[in-house]
Amino acid sequence: MRERTFARDTEGWTRREVLSGALGAAVASAGVSFLSGCTRRAGTAEVFIAQVGSYESDIASVVLSGLKELGVTEEEIRGKRILLKPNLIEPRRGAEHVNTHPLVIRGTAECFLRKGASSVLVAEGPGHTRDSLLVLGESGLGEVLRDDRIPFVDLNYVSGYPVTNTSRLTRLPALTLPVTLREVDWVVSVAKMKTHHWAGVTLSMKNLFGVMPGIYYGWPKNVFHWEGIAQSIIDINEAVKPSFAIVDGVVGMEGDGPIMGTPKHAGVLVMGRNLTAVDATCARVMGIDPKKVSYLAAASRRFGPIGESRIRQLGEAIGSVRTEFSLLERIDAHKGLRMS
Amino acid sequence: MTDRSSLASSCVEALIKRVLPEGGFSMFPGGGFRADATAWAVLALSLAPSVERATGVIENGRSRLAASQSEDGRVSVSPSDPGPFWPTSLAILAWHGSSKYAKHRVRATDFLLRTTGKHWEKTENSPLAHDTSIHGWPWNQDTHSWVEPTSLSILALRTAGVGGHKRVLEGVRMLMDRQLPSGGWNYGNTIAFGTELLPQADCTGIALNALAGEVPQSDVEISLRYLKTQVTRLRTPLSLGWGILGLGAWGRRPGQATSWIGECLARQDLSGVYDTTLVSLLLLALEGKRGLEHLFR
Repeated sequence: MRERTFARDTEGWTRREVLSGALGAAVASAGVSFLSGCTRRAGTAEVFIAQVGSYESDIASVVLSGLKELGVTEEEIRGKRILLKPNLIEPRRGAEHVNTHPLVIRGTAECFLRKGASSVLVAEGPGHTRDSLLVLGESGLGEVLRDDRIPFVDLNYVSGYPVTNTSRLTRLPALTLPVTLREVDWVVSVAKMKTHHWAGVTLSMKNLFGVMPGIYYGWPKNVFHWEGIAQSIIDINEAVKPSFAIVDGVVGMEGDGPIMGTPKHAGVLVMGRNLTAVDATCARVMGIDPKKVSYLAAASRRFGPIGESRIRQLGEAIGSVRTEFSLLERIDAHKGLRMS
Repeated sequence: MTDRSSLASSCVEALIKRVLPEGGFSMFPGGGFRADATAWAVLALSLAPSVERATGVIENGRSRLAASQSEDGRVSVSPSDPGPFWPTSLAILAWHGSSKYAKHRVRATDFLLRTTGKHWEKTENSPLAHDTSIHGWPWNQDTHSWVEPTSLSILALRTAGVGGHKRVLEGVRMLMDRQLPSGGWNYGNTIAFGTELLPQADCTGIALNALAGEVPQSDVEISLRYLKTQVTRLRTPLSLGWGILGLGAWGRRPGQATSWIGECLARQDLSGVYDTTLVSLLLLALEGKRGLEHLFR
């Protein structure tokens, strides 16, 4: 069963780089930014790729293996309150390529609870609809959360608190975060692997748009479109300080994503502590050059590496799972993204 | 429990639990003041014909809304952040029928009439099909105009007696421009990058409320048909509530509406209690047999 095979790919990796990566991860997990408003060379990071043939696989075990490979210890998780942030964008029945699959959420929640987390909740503020209950129902996530007794928080309607926008790539002097973030220790972006007609791709970093409450930013969260999507991704990630990312690429979306594209079976879960490195790896899996994705280029100067030589790939090698996601000529944001 | 008065009583009971001692309403029992929750609760409690008037609660809610109004007339989600001013239209509706708040209502109305979203002339190679130059209302200042805040603003301005204003007429034109070719509305994009987007029942219901009496039925028939198919299967409060009100506004309220609202309320056992805006919307859908605006007459 290839789903359970997690071969290390240590080619070209030195002990010094491993130590540097571990330091980077420790800094990131402590909530300390690599950068505050200035450009600095990003360090190194580790990203784990697991082959997962279908959603019927034992996803909790896959995520557990990933955490172990990435050096996430029980001590780190024990007693922590974990917020899982899925990508729930629109209500679509039977469309497993649109939203993070419920069984990925179930497996991830189970994994963190097994690791000793004191609580796990799922929270999201869908960007295109105010009817979050409908998205939960149509995606099948509502049923899973009910069965597993996992609470859901609709972040679109949660009151907010202002934080200074320290990275200031947008003009916004402050960002309003949902109070729910004050009540958790770890934010885990559980994103979907998709192409995006404005951003090129949407992965774990763009997924954090959904943290921002609709009551302050609208439906769609048009404030960020006007401020620049790439710039907003950086500012939001700087403010939210996510601890971990898991990208659901078992079935992703290609073409006219993030909504109207077509299903693409990539058969992977990609995870890591450094969201920039996770997204860069996902891009490579999709046949996209991360250096040509504007938000990743900007993120590489702040949060983490996107260069292949600076990312230690664990589990499957990129080459063994790479599958080209189709890009559309008529979409400007797709032009020139393909890896040469 | 599917008879209308029992369902209405359960909604009122739920809303009263969110009344704050200092006036106004919270989203959930035990929460803090929210302008949007307060406006919705006041609207529901003051308009539902079968509900015994909780006069003190309504007046205190209106007063709290008035206290949160800015100098320029807007009512924002949070007084410290004036940007998201979309509750202004809800406040106008909540102050309806109370002479005590007439000045507040006028200020809020003036604010809406002089405020719009960001608009621009569409270029030939625009990836968006809708006419980006038609003015409506945004959720948040300095952003584009969208279907829901435009619909609520039209409803509020009509009840405030300025339904003939050119801004209302332009808002109607904007909504018609955003109607999806295959019927229905979503948040406000129709065709992007050559692909038609999908409709949503809640957006369709709210737009149909705003358009009732403004355009011929034949112009929205395709959307009425879409919405009718949706409300038979949807039991989430936002989609069902606006769906029933949208059909009702065009004389198409389904005969099973009360029973469906009962099913929807019962689902709180599974999904948890609904917030104040959703309970209020269901109460209004229960009582507004001919749409939201008819309750004001």
